[in-house]
Amino acid sequence: MAKARRENPFIIIVLLAVAITAVIPIYYVIMTSLSQPSLVRQGELLLLPRGFTLDSYGMILKNGRFLNSFKVTLIRTLSGTALNLAMQSTFAYGLSKRYLPGRKFFMIFVVITMMFNGGIIPTYLVVRQTKIINTIFALLVPSAISAWNVIVLKSFFENIPESLEESARIDGANPFVIFARIVLPLSTPVLATIGLFAAVTHWNAFMDAIIYINKESLEVLQIYLRDMVLQFEVQSVMGDAMSLGDVSSLSLQTSAIFVSTIPMLLAYPFIQKHFVTGMMIGAVKG
Amino acid sequence: MEARRIRMNRSFKMMIRRVYANRLMYLFILPGFIWFLIYKYGPMYGVVIAFKDFKFSEGILGSAWVGLKHFQYLFSMSDFYNIVRNTITINLWNLLFGFTAPIILALIMNEVYSLKFKKAVQLAVYFPHFLSWVVFGGIIINMLNPSQGMINMAIKALGGKPVHFLAQSKYFVGIVVITSIIKEAGWGTIVYLAALAGVDMDQYEAAVIDGANRWQKLIYITLPGISSTIIIMLILRVGYLLDVGFEQIYVLYNPSVYSVGDVISTYIYRMGLQNMQFSLTTAIGLFQGAINFALIFTTNTLAKRFSDVSIW
Repeated sequence: MAKARRENPFIIIVLLAVAITAVIPIYYVIMTSLSQPSLVRQGELLLLPRGFTLDSYGMILKNGRFLNSFKVTLIRTLSGTALNLAMQSTFAYGLSKRYLPGRKFFMIFVVITMMFNGGIIPTYLVVRQTKIINTIFALLVPSAISAWNVIVLKSFFENIPESLEESARIDGANPFVIFARIVLPLSTPVLATIGLFAAVTHWNAFMDAIIYINKESLEVLQIYLRDMVLQFEVQSVMGDAMSLGDVSSLSLQTSAIFVSTIPMLLAYPFIQKHFVTGMMIGAVKG
Repeated sequence: MEARRIRMNRSFKMMIRRVYANRLMYLFILPGFIWFLIYKYGPMYGVVIAFKDFKFSEGILGSAWVGLKHFQYLFSMSDFYNIVRNTITINLWNLLFGFTAPIILALIMNEVYSLKFKKAVQLAVYFPHFLSWVVFGGIIINMLNPSQGMINMAIKALGGKPVHFLAQSKYFVGIVVITSIIKEAGWGTIVYLAALAGVDMDQYEAAVIDGANRWQKLIYITLPGISSTIIIMLILRVGYLLDVGFEQIYVLYNPSVYSVGDVISTYIYRMGLQNMQFSLTTAIGLFQGAINFALIFTTNTLAKRFSDVSIW
């Protein structure tokens, strides 16, 4: 294989087409949101925005319901990710100690939940019974631990040399100090991977909000967007005139969608570094 | 006898001592243990309401037992056959195209030599995975809109009549399968790309010396090299035959396509939570779980017998 290898043009073309298909939806949203609605309606929109305008962004950023739902989602993402990391890492650390009596029992206890689950309705009833329906905790607590992440973290902790912890113990450090000062700092790569993926999940989650939240002040961004899309769909089926002055609900909708995706786009370069580590852990274990 | 009891006694005492010595370690386990007990084992116990007439006032424990009443009703209900059929139909199409798409895409990506180009393609095709179904589905709904959507604009420009895709049942399954491929096929390649990276390069060189062409290398080296990954992914996939993601359907469907679009999870949501049919929908959930478990067990057993690859 000493020769310089030539790319197969057919393969390059196919992959370009696939890549373009994958990004076209978000591209379409950005272009529509930046265009003059009347021109979009006439089918003028092609590759670049027509009649560039930021009006719809102005409107969406002044909309109280949008801002509130953005805030709720931001809060749930930050606190939810923190809770995920705290609950999963402490639990996994306990399970990583091979000498701990009862460890096998706890492992089986966790693995069983990966194979069987109660389903939507019984889970709803339990969440209801714990009195957290219609509070922010309904979005945080029921998803606080993923059995899968616990197992990933446990395997990672098991590979930290026991001798490091041993020497700290001889110096009189208790397990909490060892965990915070030695184990966690050594685990930043895996914690970053799990944290980033947890944050994305929280940002995008809406099934739990549909089921557990029925209160406008706790509405999450995804529910707001879904209502907006649905309303537009109904209007357009009815053949309504849907312009609000010069800003149509199509522009409003696409602007709202884009604003809600900005955090994702900002996080993507960081997530990108963890694709492989994140999936590799999964692939080896799977 | 006596000696054995003393020995057992001693080992019991030693265990107690070990537990006591590590008592602080159990504090790490405690919060998670309680969480699992409440939010994972609680619902597992709650499944008993499938055999009861659940009433809020009576609670899970107090509600009256009714045996198999809900199951009998279930199997006499035409809605039930409808949602099971819809779920299976969507999943079979997903299995045929959605399962193979990432494999084919990974094989194509593997043929690229330029690492930069490959990386750029990966960044693009992984992206939609990180969008929520509300956002991605919302964009699709927009693009398919009969009056302003991009697709219908193109149809009109070509002289056709606009089609209201999402209001017609004949298009619904196709839209579900295609959108989930666009959203998830790219992300699905990661597992296969990792497997492909593990295929022994020496084999390719030996094959080239023997005069093998691209297709022969694919069939005799590449595919056997990733076959165990494919089988494992297939087993996991088959285990979800009665499970169509709630979020995708919930965003894309509307009453005019319920006849083909209503699946088990959306039905449970509407009947259970909106119409308060808790016991009936729990029975549906239990049926779904049992079938899924049976399927994963069967495929795993078959895979073990015929290929010695299995997930347990």
